[in-house]
Amino acid sequence: MAAVNAPPPELLDQPVAATAWRHRHLLDLDGLTWPEFELIMQTTDSMREVLRRPIAKVPALRGRSVTILFYEASTRTRVSFEVAAKNLSADVVSIAAQSSSITKGESLVDTVRTVEALGANMLVMRHAVSGAPYLAARHFSGSVLNGGDGWHAHPSQALLDLYTMRQHVPGGSVRGRKVVIVGDVLHSRVARSNIWSLTAAGADLWLCGPATLLRGFEAWARSWRGPSGRGVPGSFHVTTDLGAALRDADVVMALRIQRERQAGGLLPSLREYAARFGITAERLAGANPDVLVMHPGPMNEGVEIAPDVAIGRGSVITEQVTNGVAVRMAVLYLLAGAEPRRG
Amino acid sequence: MAEGAASKPRRGAGRGAGSRGAAGRTSAADANGVGAAGAAADIGVRLASLEISRAWLVDPASGREGPGELVVQDGMIEAVTWLEGADADGIDDAGVVVAPGFIDLHAHFREPGFEDAETIASGSAAAAHGGFTTVCLMPNTSPPIDQAGVLAGIRAAAVASGSPIEVLVYGTVTAGRGGETLAELGELADAGAVGFSDDGAPVRSADILRNALLYAAMLGRAIVDHPEESSLTVGAEANEGLVATVLGLKGWPAAAEESAVARDLAVLADVVADQPGARLHLTHLSVPGSIQRVREAKAAGLPVTCDVTPHHLALSDEWLAGARRFAWAADERHGIADPWRDHAITAEPYDPALRVNPPLRRPADVLACLRGLADGTVDAMATDHAPHTSVDKDVEFGLAANGISGIETALGLVLEAVAAGELGLMRAIDLLTAGPARVLGERLGRTVGLIEGAPANLVVFDRGATWDVTPETLLSRGKNSPLLGRALSGRVLLTVAGGRIAHVDDGFAERPG
Repeated sequence: MAAVNAPPPELLDQPVAATAWRHRHLLDLDGLTWPEFELIMQTTDSMREVLRRPIAKVPALRGRSVTILFYEASTRTRVSFEVAAKNLSADVVSIAAQSSSITKGESLVDTVRTVEALGANMLVMRHAVSGAPYLAARHFSGSVLNGGDGWHAHPSQALLDLYTMRQHVPGGSVRGRKVVIVGDVLHSRVARSNIWSLTAAGADLWLCGPATLLRGFEAWARSWRGPSGRGVPGSFHVTTDLGAALRDADVVMALRIQRERQAGGLLPSLREYAARFGITAERLAGANPDVLVMHPGPMNEGVEIAPDVAIGRGSVITEQVTNGVAVRMAVLYLLAGAEPRRG
Repeated sequence: MAEGAASKPRRGAGRGAGSRGAAGRTSAADANGVGAAGAAADIGVRLASLEISRAWLVDPASGREGPGELVVQDGMIEAVTWLEGADADGIDDAGVVVAPGFIDLHAHFREPGFEDAETIASGSAAAAHGGFTTVCLMPNTSPPIDQAGVLAGIRAAAVASGSPIEVLVYGTVTAGRGGETLAELGELADAGAVGFSDDGAPVRSADILRNALLYAAMLGRAIVDHPEESSLTVGAEANEGLVATVLGLKGWPAAAEESAVARDLAVLADVVADQPGARLHLTHLSVPGSIQRVREAKAAGLPVTCDVTPHHLALSDEWLAGARRFAWAADERHGIADPWRDHAITAEPYDPALRVNPPLRRPADVLACLRGLADGTVDAMATDHAPHTSVDKDVEFGLAANGISGIETALGLVLEAVAAGELGLMRAIDLLTAGPARVLGERLGRTVGLIEGAPANLVVFDRGATWDVTPETLLSRGKNSPLLGRALSGRVLLTVAGGRIAHVDDGFAERPG
């Protein structure tokens, strides 16, 4: 474990120097090795120690400028990044860009250049279009952190999910643990990023939901299961059978169902969805008695998750939020000290 | 020629036939009247004399290819000589190739209305750089070519451009491309429309399509349809498949194309029973189901033709993920190509230059298209050259305009397929020349081939020489090529259209005369 070189907490009392991190940006989790996941997890441990101090603030990123550019409404992710950057003593500029500016023809490239000209070293970005952070990264000389792009990726969410699971699962590892993600997988960047992190972690990953919201994922799972030479354990399944998915599950993560899915013809009604796929105490009876219940938020209580389950015994939903700050501190810190490999 | 003239042809390492091939190439051509300096000034000038000795001639019209010599005098092909025996020694198809000029059934030159993306003049220069001597322009301009006056303006612009490229023009099927009522097809035909298309969009109404096929048959013209069942492609960004799933892009399913093809063919069968002269051409087919339906329709005797673009016969959706391998190099032993599994990703994902309609398909789909090209189901390659400005392309993938600037890279991609053994050289050239000529039929108004006594319509290219695809080397105003930064073989040395010089490579011109 020492091989991953996570910064000990006392190192955070100094300005960040070279870290063991080797990527300039954090846009997706698809290219990360397992030691890199471990480095983030262990750096998060150090950040949690900082958060337990009476004054939860370290000078690690003093003098660095972090711009938070969100083209989509968000409270928890934006605030979480802001708090994380401030805890590290970075200068933080938060821009809530109107999503309508996309249609007004304001170019993302122009905005990114402006942000850079104003002195930003790091750019945390959320955008409704999949892949938009890659465009930003091409035109920004600092680091870009993807705070969620379209249906594609939400790396910091999947990292905090993994961290939270490891905290609670006996033995501290999700390897071989049955993790079930239930809901609108098709439109979920949270699900996609969790697929990369959980398969890398060797979990027994299950995706479950109505067939219209799972389309395409069986092919992904099939390719993953095929002879791959990945050399990692674990498995990856896709099913519309919620009972089978929940049977002996160690972790259940419900995804937000958006109302427009009904208008788009993908679901007959939210009522029917809740009746067939809502996570209720009754349905959880088939799971491991110590099952963890997670949700990336914001929740539609009574639709994808019953209110009593959301606050029930196994729920770690508020801990996900707390861990989100620590994980984001970790990735900001690691990227700030990254020495990118060329090429 | 402006920027392109700056670079010298390079010999591709390991590609040609060694020294004997190189010797053949260096003595391949002698041109008088092709000036070395200021080549741009020569564009449009009648080719006074050209002698190409010891090259590989490809003549799809006669089905013949081999070592030969070709002489042009005063713009006319004076002699075509096939070499045999000792004279042919050392000449192979890996060096300088002479073929009839290419014919593009599908290009967008953006004039009038979008001249910052392309003009008739810039598009013609790009076409010539790609080896094309005839282009058929799509009518989705602004205003659209739905009236004879607009069409006449384009023909005038073609003459004014000074380029000898033959510019043929489609009229729209429906007024304003609105899909509601027929455009004035008769007047458009009288003004010279080569056929009719609402390309960029399908003819949505089956009833309008039926009437258009009937009416166009009366005028001796084909309807060119862009097959897409639009209800399946709302907001679509990429081929529906693993790549779109992983990248979180909205899928454009194969069924949207195949079902439109099936509908079009059913309507055609219905029309033909009444009006045997009806003709349907399906453009830019991209999925196996479409190819198979056309195969069956042709076997049943329906008057349908189709084309595939160079990008759909070489590139795949894996490129969106950042893979840069050609479709035939994808490993599909496990039933599905997966660039992540194969560690095939070498570039950044989401290059907006790759956004095109129909989208780049799975490697398996590409191979099915290649089989259709090889077995004669597909009649032609057409570029769907779709230049765009950086304003429309250097944006988020999902907001980028659809289209690839492809008329200059078509030959290079086709030659990649030939080099990989996916297509024979003769068939590849046929699909760029005699194939589209057969689709156009009497609308072309000339015979395609290396024919003594005919005006020279020729391309001379060197399979042993590469060129770098860069914004500077592309003569099109549209720099939206996913091949930027690559070297392509088949450098075009000379393009002659109607006996006049359309493109000349500076390295070619500087050879001693």
